[in-house]
Amino acid sequence: MMQEEPEVVQVTDRDGVKLVRIVSSAILREGEVESLGRALLALAEVPGRRVVLSFLGVRHLTSLVLGKLIHVHKRLAESGGELRLADIDPHIYEVFAITHLDRLFRIFEREDEAVASFAAEPEA
Amino acid sequence: MPSRQPDTDSTYPWAEKILPTRLEAIREAEPDVLDRIGGLGYDDDCLFAIRLALEEGLVNAMKHGNRMDPAKRVRLAYRVAPDSVEIRIRDEGGGFDPGVIPDPTVDENLQRPCGRGIMLMRSYMDVVEYACRGAEVRMTKFRRPAQRGSQK
Repeated sequence: MMQEEPEVVQVTDRDGVKLVRIVSSAILREGEVESLGRALLALAEVPGRRVVLSFLGVRHLTSLVLGKLIHVHKRLAESGGELRLADIDPHIYEVFAITHLDRLFRIFEREDEAVASFAAEPEA
Repeated sequence: MPSRQPDTDSTYPWAEKILPTRLEAIREAEPDVLDRIGGLGYDDDCLFAIRLALEEGLVNAMKHGNRMDPAKRVRLAYRVAPDSVEIRIRDEGGGFDPGVIPDPTVDENLQRPCGRGIMLMRSYMDVVEYACRGAEVRMTKFRRPAQRGSQK
């Protein structure tokens, strides 16, 4: 029997940008981390894809998630796309700052600002 | 750096859990540890820090120590006292040299997907030491003096 994949994200289209919202408040289970990675990598299949990942409601994560985000970032960048982040809780933002990943990712306070930031730039 | 020592009051004894090598087991083990910490009135910053370090330590033990071998287990020991929280995590792997882990924050390593767990533990805990040739990590978080006023 196939195991049902946990739903960890909801994906919507917003002004030509894929807006990805994380459903779970804490991403720790291996299945959730893998599912998040698969969902984001599936979006990266399209060259030049612009993706905003909203962390609204997420209160906890581990470095496993950071590794997935880096992988997706690289995959998107290879095809001229980009992953931008938004709605990050202050505690989690500190994790990005400590690991210097705030230098790798463009991080916005709110998802609307992240989506609008893409609209202000011509597509690659 | 001041050499502060953890509480030794026997009112707060060590507790122990033996975990299977499954990442899901981490979430199952957490509530008891976090409930004890919350019950002593540690603030949200402390709770976040200890939870993150606990998870990173257990993930490292399972993924890098036990290499996700389901035949191996992880021993979690913890002691939650009013002034300090001590955590020890031991895997059944061959150990490692924590001194050779590359700095994940330098430019050439920034896009490496691994290597941040140890750095986060060191950032969020006051003491992080390794024993048993790297197969056991020992961490301590001291409560900030100002927090004692909020103790329940």
